[in-house]
Parts: sequence; C-alpha cells; structure tokens
Amino acid sequence: MFRKLSLVMLSAFLLLLPLSGCGRQAAGPPGSGGKTVLLNGAGATFPYPLYSRWIDTYGQMHANVKINYQPIGSGAGIEQITKKTIDFGGSDAPMSDAQLKAAPGEILHIPTVLGAVAVTYNLPGLTGHLKLTSAVLAGIYLREIKKWNDPRLTALNPELNLPDQNILVVHRSDGSGTTNIFTDYLSRVSPQWRERVGKGTAVNWPTGIGGKGNDGLSRQVQANPGAIGYVELSYALLNNLPYALLRNSAGRFVAPTLESITAAAAGAAARMPSDLRVSIVDAPGENAYPVAGFTYILAYREQADPDKGRALADFLWWAVHDGEKMARELVYAPLPPEVVTRVEQKIKSISWQDKPLLTAKE
Amino acid sequence: MDRLGAAGYRETNERDMGKSGISLYSGRWRQIHCRMMTGLCALAVLTLLAVLLIIMTYILLQGIPGLNWQFFTRPPAPVGLPGGGVYHAITGSLVLVGLACLIAIPWGVAAGIFLAAPRRPGPLAALVRFTADVLSGVPSITAGIFIYTLVVVRMHTFSALAGGLALAIVMLPVVTRNTEEILRLVPRGLQEAALALGISWWRVMLHIVLPTAARGVAIGITLAMAGVAGDPVPLFFTALNNNHFSLDLTQPMASLPMEIFRYAAGPFVTWHRLAWSGALVLIGIILLPMLLARIILPGYRIRR
Repeated sequence: MFRKLSLVMLSAFLLLLPLSGCGRQAAGPPGSGGKTVLLNGAGATFPYPLYSRWIDTYGQMHANVKINYQPIGSGAGIEQITKKTIDFGGSDAPMSDAQLKAAPGEILHIPTVLGAVAVTYNLPGLTGHLKLTSAVLAGIYLREIKKWNDPRLTALNPELNLPDQNILVVHRSDGSGTTNIFTDYLSRVSPQWRERVGKGTAVNWPTGIGGKGNDGLSRQVQANPGAIGYVELSYALLNNLPYALLRNSAGRFVAPTLESITAAAAGAAARMPSDLRVSIVDAPGENAYPVAGFTYILAYREQADPDKGRALADFLWWAVHDGEKMARELVYAPLPPEVVTRVEQKIKSISWQDKPLLTAKE
Repeated sequence: MDRLGAAGYRETNERDMGKSGISLYSGRWRQIHCRMMTGLCALAVLTLLAVLLIIMTYILLQGIPGLNWQFFTRPPAPVGLPGGGVYHAITGSLVLVGLACLIAIPWGVAAGIFLAAPRRPGPLAALVRFTADVLSGVPSITAGIFIYTLVVVRMHTFSALAGGLALAIVMLPVVTRNTEEILRLVPRGLQEAALALGISWWRVMLHIVLPTAARGVAIGITLAMAGVAGDPVPLFFTALNNNHFSLDLTQPMASLPMEIFRYAAGPFVTWHRLAWSGALVLIGIILLPMLLARIILPGYRIRR
C-alpha cells in the first residue's frame, strides 16, 4: 500500500516536471514555420461578437492559425497586454500616456471598427425624433434642465408637443466604454461638465438612477415615462429603441447610423495623430454623428515570436480589409478608407528584430 | 419488599423530576413534543430535497432541449451563427480537474493520514491542521490571483497548468480535512490491535485504517473534485478560456464553468440555452465519479 502510494506521488511529480519545462519551449526556436500558431487576445467586450466572427472566418481560410479572444473588459485588456500575458489586447478607449509609459515596449493602436452612443428616451405618444444639442444634453445630465417642456427643449423641438413632465435621468451603474464615450462627448462640449464631472468609464453622476449594462439601462428607461438614457448604438438599433438626433459641429441634426459614425471617423482622420490615439467625439463633417469612438486592438510593434507576430500582422491586415465588409451585418460601423490607409502603415510596422513581418498583400 | 422498592423508586424519580423542574413533563406532553420535533426535522429534510429537486428539474427542463450530438462533439460557433457545442470545454474541464487531482489527492490524502495518525499530537500536526483550516477558508479568487502572479505573469501566458494549480490549491485543504475526519471514524480498537503487534504507526494507517475507510476517503475526494469542477473563479486569472479545442497545457484552456459564465452573461437567447445545457453536462460530469465511488469501493460495516 505504501509502495503504491509513493508510486502515485512519484508519478505525479514525473508528470508535472516536463510540464514546467514546456513553458520555456513554447517561446520556441525562431523561424520554424508550418506549425500551428495560437494567438491569445483578451479585452474589450463591445467588439467581441464581430471578433468571434472574424476569428471563425479567418480560421477557415488559415488552418494553421488559431485565434483565441476573450471578452474580459477594456481595462483588463490594457493590463494584460502591459504584463505581456496575451499576444494582443482589445480596448474601447486608447491607452493613456501614463499607461503607455508603463508598458515594457512600444504598443501600437490598431482601430478595427467604430461604436457610437445613442440617446434614448421614453415619451409616450411622441411622434418624430427628439432633437438635442450638446448644451441641452449636458444641461439635462447636470440637472439644470428638469422638465420636458423647458424652453430650451421646446425651442429645439417646435413641432413636438413636449409634456409638462419631470425628466428622469438614467445612466450606467457599471463601468463601461459606452459611458466613457458619452462623458468624453459631454466634457468636450460643456466646460461645466468637464469641471464638475469629467470623463471616464464610471463617473460621479450629478443626478439620476443607474442601470446595469445596456439592457438594464434601457429597462429603466422603458419602465419610467419621462426617462432619458444612453445606450450603445447597435443595442438601440437591434431593439428598435427611440433615439434622439444630435446637432453636430456643422450645425446639422444627425441620426445615429452606421453611415454617420463612419462619417465622424472620416472627419476626424485629419486630426488623427501618428499613433492613431484619437477621440472622435464632436468630429467635423456635414454628416458626422458626434458621439462615437474607435475600438482598438493593442499589440507590440516589436514582436517576441516571429511566427506569432507574422500571424497577427496578417490577421489584422485581413481584418481591416476583408473583415470590415462583415461589420455592417453585425451592426458595427466600418473604418472609412482614410483611416484604413493610416492603419495599414501601423500593421506594416509590426516587426521582429526590426524586420517587418507582414506577408499578406492587398 | 417489592412494593416498597417500587414505591421508593417512584418517589425518588418524582423528586428528581421535581428538582430539575420538569414535573409537568408527563408522558403525553413528551410524546407531543417528540412528534413536533420529528415533524420539524422532516420538514427541514423535505425543504432541502425540494430545493434540490427544483434545481435539478429546472436544469433538466432548460438543458435537455439543447443537448444533441453537435453539442458534445463541436467547438463553439461564432456569435450569431447557429450550432456549436462545448466539446472543447468538456475536455478542458476534464484536463484541468485531472491536473488538480494529480496534485491535490496524493498530498491531501498523505496529510490527512498524518493528521489522523495514532500518535501524541505534536506541533507539526497542529501546524498542518491550522494551515489546512486557514487554506480552506481562503476565497478561491485568492488562489487564482496567487497563481496569476506566480505562474501566469512569469510564464507570460495564461495556461491550463496555472488553472490546474489554482484548482489544486482550492482542493487540497478539503481533501486533507475530509481524509482526516473519515480516518478518525475507524474504530480505535482496530488500530490498537495492530499497534500491539508491533507494526509502526504509518504502516497501521496505510495497511489497516486507510483500506477500511477507502470508500469514505474516495467520497471525500469526489466531493472536493465536484467543488472545483464547478468553480470558474480560480480560472479567471489562470486558465482563462479558449475558443478552440486544446490539450496544450501551456496555453489557455476552456472549461465548462467559464463557458457557462460566458454564455449566461451574454445578450443572446441562443447563448442562454447553451449555458443551461452546459450546466446539465457539468452536473452529469460531477455526479459520475460520485456514483462510481459508491458502487466500486466496498463500504465499511461494523459486524455485530
């Protein structure tokens, strides 16, 4: 019996020993092509449905490349790529200067698609879309405008019969990239908001009640006549929620649509810095919708493993060209051509020992 | 003599009862009291059984429609496309729990034997028992973060190996304490008889006590296995999850609890159905070794 037990323990040790060795082997001898490459990514939840479709389609064309993307949140994605525990990260917000400085190497921001925030409301019997300006929206969320028939609202919506009803403000109770884009917009257009509240994935709201997730928030809005809230655009479109038209920087009232978001990205392309980290809220352009943002894939410019780096560069190249064509079907706004050309330069710069890795061609 | 004795007995008996203040505790009241307590106990048992029954029925009702051949043999389909299964998560869970068992069972059983050994309790045994108790009180997320800093960050990748280690940490104290408690149930006389023949204590434990209590120890182990098999928390920072089938221990690995979590938290109705079916499969996987342990291993019975 004792012999049997010691045998079991010994075999357990022996089994574990080679495993601890595997970790070192996985980094691998460079340049051994032909074998299956597994890319691990994690981060933003918002683009996950699209990424999972991309990964499946790309995997069917490239049997030797397997990509694993886990939706663990933008913040966690930034944290894990900084710690180098994953091959690429995903984030709805660009990394801050401090975050970039903390990373052990140069991190590239690769925009993949665009998301936007729609302002939704519950006003029974209202026909036509509510029109809002940034100042009025900030006023509502700062609790300076308390009633639906406030003169500032009726002046914008003369054709609507707005009721003498209190406005119930609804916001997200959980940390969210949607909140980040929304508060980024309010901060940019309202100095008062910038001072009193600021922007972030979760902020100290001056007023209102919270709802968890897009569904929780929209449930709150549906349940309370007179409520106003904000949701991710794809959620609003898929669930046929009423949405407000927002006045953009060109002075036009624009509906949140995939076209108006792509237009916002095109308008902001000119002011895009070389590292592509840019906020596109209140972007210039006739048809630009003002509350939108890129979602990014984060990757190191200098790759540790040439096989993985090559697979990643090729996949990204495919994603921003062929992959973009699948975006609309899943209610994501594709990148405008102006931005794709900028992204191409970034993908081409992914390298191993200063040699560019991209093999795919247009 | 007889009558006197009987009277005297009754007298002292009543006096004693009077002293302890339960003279009103007549036979009838005692019966009612007894029935009441039995009734309450039965109610508690029924409540427990009802909860178990409701959960099981609900999972069966929700889970069975999603079960088909594809569910067991295919990796997941991308979002929005029909079909797909949890093949990768079933194999992943088996590998992860297997790894945890490989580490936790030998060490846990050995520590349990050490603690239950018929010796004068020394400081080492006290330390081991204290450590096991503290360890079993540590939330499983702590085990995950510990392995994350120690293994994941250093190896620069989430891995099945890290997941197995985290699960082993959660499992180890449970196996240790279960084994100790079960071994202590073996009659002392059996050990003393063996010790009297001059057999050393560890030989007594291994050859006489452990085989006698084998079934109990095995059931304790399966309970510990069941605990970790359904827990996604230690895996968040260690094994992560994988969209693909993988047996590579140095890469992220899928598991049923992680997939159930992902599907249940998702915004799609088809995903919720997959989550229910996954939960059903998970329960099946947990029940199987428990039943096997009960059927295969002989139970210990005291012969009168």
